[in-house]
Amino acid sequence: MELYLYIALFAPLVGSLYSSLFARSPKSQQVGIIASGLLFTSFVSSTILLTYVMGGHTVHTEMMTWIATGDLYIPFGFVVDQVSVVMMMVVTIVSTVVHVYSIGYMDHDKGFNRFFAWLSAFVFSMMVLVMSDNFAGLFIGWEGVGLCSWGLIGFWYHKESATWAANEAFIMNRIADLGMLIGIFLVYWNVGSLQYDVVFSEIGNLQPVIITWIGIFLFIGAMGKSAQFPLHTWLADAMEGPTPVSALIHAATMVTAGVYLVVRANPIYDLIPNVGIFIASLGAFVALFAASMALVNRDMKRIIAYSTLSQLGYMFVAAGLGAYWVALFHLMAHAFFKALLFLGAGNVMHAMHDELDPFKMGGLRKVMKGTFVMMTLASVALAGIYPFAGFFSKDLILEVGFVEHHYVIYTVLLLTAGLTAFYSFRLVALIFHGEERYKLFGIHPHEAYKFMLVAMSPLLVLAIIAGSFKMTYFQLVMNLLPATQYHVHDHTTFWIMTIGTQLFVIAAILFAYKKYSNWSSVPDGSSAMEKSFFYKLLWNQYYIPKMYEEIFAKPYAELSRIAWKQIDLKIVDATVDAIANGIYKTGENTRDIQNGNLSTMLRWMVVGLVVLSILAVAFTVGYNVVGA
Amino acid sequence: MAITLTHYLVLASVLFVIGLIGVMRRKNLLMLFFATEILLNATNIAFAAISHYIGDLSGQMFAFFIIAIAASEVAIGLGLLIVWYKRTGKIDLDQMNSMRG
Amino acid sequence: MIDHILTLLIFFPALAAMLGFVVTKDSIRAYGIAVAGIEFLLSLWLWYAYDPMVSGMQFMEAAPLIPAFGINYLLGVDGISLFIIILSTFFTLIGIASLTEKRRIKDLIITLLFLEMTMVGVFAALDAIVFYVFWEFSLVPMLYIIGAWGGPLRIYASVKFFLYTFTGSLVMLVGMLFMAYFYYQATGQWSFAILEWYRLILPENFQLWLFVAFFLGFAIKVPMFPFHTWLPYAHGQAPTIGSVILAAILLKMGTYAFVRFSLPLFPDASVFFMIPIAVIAIIMIIYTAMVAYAQEDIKQVVAYSSISHMGVIILGTFALNVEGVSGSVFLMLAHGVVSGALFLLVGVIYDRRHTKLMSEFGGLASVMPRYATIFGIMMMASVGLPLTINFVGEFLSLLGFYKQSHMLTLTAGTAIIVGAIYMLSAYKKAFFGNVTNEENKKLKDINKTELVGLIPLTIVAIWLGVYPKPILEPINNSVESVIQLMHDKAQSAEAKVRIPDLSGKNGTNTMQEAY
Repeated sequence: MELYLYIALFAPLVGSLYSSLFARSPKSQQVGIIASGLLFTSFVSSTILLTYVMGGHTVHTEMMTWIATGDLYIPFGFVVDQVSVVMMMVVTIVSTVVHVYSIGYMDHDKGFNRFFAWLSAFVFSMMVLVMSDNFAGLFIGWEGVGLCSWGLIGFWYHKESATWAANEAFIMNRIADLGMLIGIFLVYWNVGSLQYDVVFSEIGNLQPVIITWIGIFLFIGAMGKSAQFPLHTWLADAMEGPTPVSALIHAATMVTAGVYLVVRANPIYDLIPNVGIFIASLGAFVALFAASMALVNRDMKRIIAYSTLSQLGYMFVAAGLGAYWVALFHLMAHAFFKALLFLGAGNVMHAMHDELDPFKMGGLRKVMKGTFVMMTLASVALAGIYPFAGFFSKDLILEVGFVEHHYVIYTVLLLTAGLTAFYSFRLVALIFHGEERYKLFGIHPHEAYKFMLVAMSPLLVLAIIAGSFKMTYFQLVMNLLPATQYHVHDHTTFWIMTIGTQLFVIAAILFAYKKYSNWSSVPDGSSAMEKSFFYKLLWNQYYIPKMYEEIFAKPYAELSRIAWKQIDLKIVDATVDAIANGIYKTGENTRDIQNGNLSTMLRWMVVGLVVLSILAVAFTVGYNVVGA
Repeated sequence: MAITLTHYLVLASVLFVIGLIGVMRRKNLLMLFFATEILLNATNIAFAAISHYIGDLSGQMFAFFIIAIAASEVAIGLGLLIVWYKRTGKIDLDQMNSMRG
Repeated sequence: MIDHILTLLIFFPALAAMLGFVVTKDSIRAYGIAVAGIEFLLSLWLWYAYDPMVSGMQFMEAAPLIPAFGINYLLGVDGISLFIIILSTFFTLIGIASLTEKRRIKDLIITLLFLEMTMVGVFAALDAIVFYVFWEFSLVPMLYIIGAWGGPLRIYASVKFFLYTFTGSLVMLVGMLFMAYFYYQATGQWSFAILEWYRLILPENFQLWLFVAFFLGFAIKVPMFPFHTWLPYAHGQAPTIGSVILAAILLKMGTYAFVRFSLPLFPDASVFFMIPIAVIAIIMIIYTAMVAYAQEDIKQVVAYSSISHMGVIILGTFALNVEGVSGSVFLMLAHGVVSGALFLLVGVIYDRRHTKLMSEFGGLASVMPRYATIFGIMMMASVGLPLTINFVGEFLSLLGFYKQSHMLTLTAGTAIIVGAIYMLSAYKKAFFGNVTNEENKKLKDINKTELVGLIPLTIVAIWLGVYPKPILEPINNSVESVIQLMHDKAQSAEAKVRIPDLSGKNGTNTMQEAY
């Protein structure tokens, strides 16, 4: 089984290296095909591992030593257990689909080969992240996905906005990574090891205060990767990257790494329910916060990004409340339908020549049938309508909130579910229904390549049926995660809740359709709604990016200038030069002594003699006095 | 009135001060040599006197050393002086500043 | 030959440099590469013959110089110095092989070979006076390189470099003399042998004074804030090869000396000064990173980034535990490789455009893709991405210091943030965007001569990031014996606690066995 582990792990790396060999040469189709093929190999190996793990085994292997000094011992160790195999499946399925899709999507791009090098490298990093058996290995993957995300957001590096967004994402993640690093240090100095099994078995012996700090710092790391408030701004800006990247990295896999971390570290978080409550509250807040920004946005990809953010909030609610398996389940289901949604958006973008404003589209269902069906179904799944995947995972989170008696969180999540349905269908209605507003801009949309739609179809199937795996999945992960069943025991309440939620969501969908499916004009900022305070607040993302710019970015740049021009040059260096000048001046002023005139020198000699004699006398007298 | 060590030392000091003033004031190289001779002889007197009074001969030995050294010094010094005079026609100290820093 | 390999390593380049005067100008380059190559192979052989399981000094050599004062020609290497010696020979080879300088190349190569002698000498010396002599000698070739091949302000920069570091070293010399005098007082014999000094247990107040005297010499060399201002001038004016050697090797002399002298000689003082030095290190890390962010000249960005990274090395050194000190020694090597490579890379673009201002560039990634890739890899290594060489060192240094202070490590950890800020924004300015400057449109991508230097560095940067064991293991063994020595010598209760006791561990030699 170790062989399959290594194949699953290293096939993407091979693909990446192979593609990078061609990075400088002109586009060649075979690069994409080979990279995709290797990804598929990885997927097959993961599937074999899944069946093996389902038989009740796990695979644990140590490849070689990485860092060993003092008491610290970090190997390249990999583990395939019930949790990591789920992540492996999610990662390999979505990335295989995205790879194949990208062959079509990046068809006309100069950087075709380079794109696959980065994309496969990302998958490798992600596999390292989920498969490592220790925190340091996790951190390798953690930073690796950050690097690939940087490279892929800034893939079109001639665009100022893209490179800016790439740097923003990297730096913001770095802020969180510091938290993660500190968490790792704390674990090491208190447990003496970074291996998961050792840490989790001994974590209970530590003082509660230290466990709390470990939990907090690790969660700070998770906040950055999963773009939780207040480190969320990079995710929306990351939409500058190519759309397959958004689908794979900024929807399905990388951003869920934070959730994975909390799920993986469940023995730690189980001991600190207070931190868990904080995580859940933050998650609920982010869910609502992100959904509210999605309501008014006019950038198709950003809307989906905010929706991702909102769903990550849901996952953190579940993880924070101790329902780790529910969080992981929603992670999985979400990966399928959100990736599908993004890839559909990619088709639309292609058709519309990279136009992102849904108000400039409309009526596209006639020309893009396949995409229309897929995006609609993905949105239904996202909204959580029975029997789609979202129903099983998202409603479960609501139930968790209810069963655990966190009614505020429950209410917030319920409200968010309505908002989610509304903005998802606002988008669908604006893009595919109503008048064909794109004609005003002289665009002739066309459907994407057939094979791209075929490539997307596995995701569609999974988005529809993933819910039916729930019991199998539960049986699988209960070996590793707390196997709490979340059932509202009272049948009446259960049915009222479920049906009520469904009705509420359907009402939101219908409202969105009613409002937007007959839209006819492109808004120009003159309507009363667009002038209202709340609209502006949401439109400007609560002014947070602007605030960050004013509070952090600009003062930092200014302070840097001051540090250089004022402090370094005018104080530190000037002091050194002043001392040197002082010495130099002293020399300059006393050089008259050495004017070469013998009589002057003789006079100085006499002065010296006199001074010495006086000193001699003074010391002798002084010595005699003291001696006496 | 017996002549004590103090008298010798006073004499030596007076001579030394005379020599010192000469060293400081004189601009003529030849006169400078005289002044340094006076300085050296002042110390010689002091050495010889102290040596006599404490009954240790090494002081007088030192005096002889100094006389010998002074003689050779004067010989070299006068030699240089003559060379200098032949070159420049002057033995004024203020002119000798080619080593000016 | 193996008995005298260190002498050979030190004086072979110098002898070859003498012979170099008679080599013709056309063949001097090949001659230089050959000499540096042989020297590099010799140093590799040293590594091959080195026994990684032994933590003490190996290949020791001794010859009397001034026995009456205990000054002897003592040489030896342990895991701490071995790899810095190899790094020195490696960089000399790479520097000569990828030399693009056209002016007076013969003088330059001869100077570099002399410089190589002094560098190897510093790291192999086990006698304080021999150490001091090589330490000061190393200034002369560098002074010449900056002063003769430098930019417009070269005289100012080289004199500043020389006088500043020289002043610091003089204070250090006084410290050394006093140390020897103290040894004389204690034993009745003069000795400048470092290993002999290790056996002395000094009273705490003496330790404090001596620590400060040594500190001044080392701190200026490192350079630590606020003694760092000579470095930007030196880098700014030095030719590429000068900057490479300066950043890669010469700065490491300071940090190496901390590990060789300050820690084992003055354990109590090291603990006493740990927090103040950590504060200085943190100022170095954050403040110089900010200054780097404000720079307009890409070479200055790299220069200031060096200071920032040296801050992490200092922090690791004063973690006073095996993890931290091993990490800092490893980071010395890592920083040598990465900053050396970055200076080489800056030299590549300077050769083409004769400017280092980032505003003149922009969009280079599309004109010079290979260059942009290698620069990108090295930038990411400098930022400290896992699986690159820098990460191992930075991670261990910070990890080690975390044992001593939570808050300070948290503050110092911002290194990974501020480092990313200045590096990424510099990279963005120079490489991303559209090519706006006409002159940049026809730039040639990196050529073979330049690749000769950069490819090995890239390989090393990744290889040692993935598999640091061959180097980390000998370092670890030698560091363990230093730490144990410190623990045994420590007198104050605080020092006993701060410096871990390793004697209970299997396979760890105690101080007496090791030295």
